[in-house]
Amino acid sequence: MKYMMLTYGTQLDYDGMSGKAGEDSPWTPELFGALAGFMEKFNRDLEESGELVETRGLLAPVHTRRLRLESGVPVVTDGPYAETEEVLAGYWIIECDGFDRATEIAGRLSNCPGPDGVRDTYYVDVRPIADGRADLGL
Amino acid sequence: MNRREEHQDLLRDLAPQILGALVRRFGHFDTAEDAVQEALLAASQQWAERPENPRGWLITVASRRMTDLLRSEQARRRREDEAARWTLPLEGTPPAEPADDTLVLLFLCCHPSLSPASQIALTLRAVGGLTTAEIARAFLLPEAAMTRRITRAKQSIKDSGAAFRMPPNPRERLAAVLHVLYLIFSEGYASQRGDLAAEAIRLTRILHRLMPGDEDSEVAGLLALMLLTDARRDARTGADGELVPLAEQDRSRWNTAYVEEGVALITDALPRGSTGPYQLQAAIAALHDEARSAEDTDWPQIRALYEMLLRISDNPMVVLNHAVAVAMTDGPRDGLALIARLDGDPRLAEDHRLFTVRAHLLEMSGDTEAARSAYAEAAARARHLQQQRYLHRRAARLG
Repeated sequence: MKYMMLTYGTQLDYDGMSGKAGEDSPWTPELFGALAGFMEKFNRDLEESGELVETRGLLAPVHTRRLRLESGVPVVTDGPYAETEEVLAGYWIIECDGFDRATEIAGRLSNCPGPDGVRDTYYVDVRPIADGRADLGL
Repeated sequence: MNRREEHQDLLRDLAPQILGALVRRFGHFDTAEDAVQEALLAASQQWAERPENPRGWLITVASRRMTDLLRSEQARRRREDEAARWTLPLEGTPPAEPADDTLVLLFLCCHPSLSPASQIALTLRAVGGLTTAEIARAFLLPEAAMTRRITRAKQSIKDSGAAFRMPPNPRERLAAVLHVLYLIFSEGYASQRGDLAAEAIRLTRILHRLMPGDEDSEVAGLLALMLLTDARRDARTGADGELVPLAEQDRSRWNTAYVEEGVALITDALPRGSTGPYQLQAAIAALHDEARSAEDTDWPQIRALYEMLLRISDNPMVVLNHAVAVAMTDGPRDGLALIARLDGDPRLAEDHRLFTVRAHLLEMSGDTEAARSAYAEAAARARHLQQQRYLHRRAARLG
């Protein structure tokens, strides 16, 4: 059974992690190094247990194009997000023996290092991936 | 070559590739172009040793810089409540044929929505990797003026909605690209700024290497023309920097490697496809370069080539050069009769060359007084100091 784990972030989080937010950013180099180390180990463990299908991080929200229809014509908008708007930042696709196991895996992410303010509001979504059209009731 | 020059050469070669990589990945040609310039600058300041993967280094630095630039641009837009948006065509387009990024950039910079002056400036910056300051210096313009020109050019490309891919009609658009390269070369050659001429040759070499379907060999023709012309560069100026006309040049000072390469290119190109204007001009330059002395010049052949050029071009410079060839085969009076037709042509009204040629032909015909005043008229119209000095000297020599 396949599940998707999704994490979210704002443009400001990206700025913080990239070191752009400046001296008083809570993302110190040590903290960021710890985060990178944690993620590496997290992914390696999943790989070793054979449960990782794929994982990717997305680039900063500023590199976004949003398409919508206006009077039936597709219109593109550049970087449509406000600084503090939470958008998809990365995902894992895992294959495991059920929702509870997937939830357990996602729970490990709560040990991820980060500044207190960020850890307090951090969340991960876990969602089952549809097996086919029938699964979606189509 | 010292290490710094090696770095600069490498950076200039990589510049269009880095820009291509960024525009393909993130769009925003205008912002990407700024980001690449800043990355190139950072590299030239920070590289003591060349990094292991220069391309990767530049892409990383330019990408980060691009994110920053986009962030501030989008923050400004939000403040002004003006979202960047554009509409897409309803019908889909197939994926573009794979093409080299440098080639795609060259065509993009020579986009028909731009004036030739803007095409030149943008080509030198985005494809050549020159800084705005360097381009401004080459064209004797204040840097601020050149910055405005490049900014406007990038805005026009953005407004045109041109995608980063080869145009659907590259053969039709090739003429504009060749023209831009030719203008860069001519500016460098006329003003004796060898770096600009060398840059034109470098870019034309790249185009020649990359251009698929150059059936008419005009790219080869242009490259040959540049090499065969530039071959005479050292002999073209005397000890005091004065211009030396072709007939009086010390031919042992011509660049034989360039002559050989140019002759080989044009010899190979002429039999293929239809013969365009650059090939004809290159063939003429080859005849000059292959003559052992001015007297050995094959003027009847040159005249015939100019007559072919006249059939495909109404450029007054061709009429002028043809008149010179006629004067050399049939005498100066016949040449003068031909250029009389150019009197009052608005394209030459502010150009010294009509008067320069007339002065030479009058001198050949023995009409000293008329020649002297024609040299003076030419000098009054010459743009470059060396040309003015040459013309005044010719006039003075006539006593």
